[in-house]
Amino acid sequence: MDKLIDDEMLVAQFQAGRQNAFDELMKRYKSKIFSYLLRSVRNYEDAEDITIEVFFKAYRALENWQPKAKFSTWLYKIASNLAIDYHRAKARNPVYALEDTEISEEHLVATDLYSDPEKQLEEKERGIIIREAVDQLSPKQKAVFMLSRYEGLQLKEVAEALDMAEGTVKIHLHRAVKRLQTLLRPLWENNDI
Amino acid sequence: MPKCKKSEGHAIDYAYRGLSPAEEEPFKAHLRNCQDCTEAVESYTAALELTDKAQEELVVPEHALQNIEMNVYKRLAAAQEQTWFSRLRTYFTSVGSPFGGYKTAAVSSIAIALIVAAVFLGKPPQPEPTLQLTKEHSAEARIAEYHEQGIQWNLEEALITHHLRNDAWETESQLNRMKEQAQGTSWTQVADKHLQYLQSVTLNRTQ
Repeated sequence: MDKLIDDEMLVAQFQAGRQNAFDELMKRYKSKIFSYLLRSVRNYEDAEDITIEVFFKAYRALENWQPKAKFSTWLYKIASNLAIDYHRAKARNPVYALEDTEISEEHLVATDLYSDPEKQLEEKERGIIIREAVDQLSPKQKAVFMLSRYEGLQLKEVAEALDMAEGTVKIHLHRAVKRLQTLLRPLWENNDI
Repeated sequence: MPKCKKSEGHAIDYAYRGLSPAEEEPFKAHLRNCQDCTEAVESYTAALELTDKAQEELVVPEHALQNIEMNVYKRLAAAQEQTWFSRLRTYFTSVGSPFGGYKTAAVSSIAIALIVAAVFLGKPPQPEPTLQLTKEHSAEARIAEYHEQGIQWNLEEALITHHLRNDAWETESQLNRMKEQAQGTSWTQVADKHLQYLQSVTLNRTQ
């Protein structure tokens, strides 16, 4: 399928009964949505399950979708809502959350077999501290930070994705950056970087 | 934390590269004279750089994405089974209890009340719209299609391992995995042929 066809046109084709258009949309966004969810939930299996749920929900709602916002923003909206639900469920079940984090860290830290093992361990520990700091943001702060910093969404698009006013997005973003600065300060104050 | 409170938001925006050009120049000028804000910008920037680095380490492996489409269609197929008719059937089965008659009367009264309310007050509530898969593009057809794509993908991986990495042991295990995945299809014969070829090549090398 032509890559020049924009998302909204593919949606229109899908609404006209062309199923392949949805496959093309999945192909375009599965990696982005998966990586966004992986950053958010930090567990491969959960990220995969939620990604499937995002496209499942999108498929079922796409028939009546109106291009008020970009298709990608709408997809991130579904993903963000599911991620926020996931974090809320996890907060209600802290035992599960602890086990889950331990498993995910094993997978998440990039390993270079040829580097110095001690340095590798330090890097791994630092990576864990940083990702745990990000985890300490509230679900909304985290969603705002992730969408704007790593998914390249403009503040206006983040606002649309999270059903917030643009000013509220900015407040969440400021709080997120301030919180990260407070939590990570010991890393550079102890000359760890 | 800067004592210059007025510019704290600007310090974050500047570190985040979120200031407009019209705001950036005056703030740069302010930074030249404000030690507090300079330190704040430096620490926000350091925090963001650390976070970026930790996020860069996170890589989505190709195999994790391989089955997404197929699983979406599996999910759709499973959901389709739970249609309105099956829900109704379940309901009417449950109505067969000793209090079934009362239940039916109660539900009918509510339904009539809703219809009357809708006629007088406006449009009745619509059920959540859901798009159904067509016959030509049934979930089963899509699942089979993606399953075959997965088999082909694994075969390609095995051939890459064989020709580019020259790793016979890994190639063999990838071909066996592919064969297992292809059970019930003609792709098992393709896997067998490649396995036989691999064994003959390995034998020739050892002789």
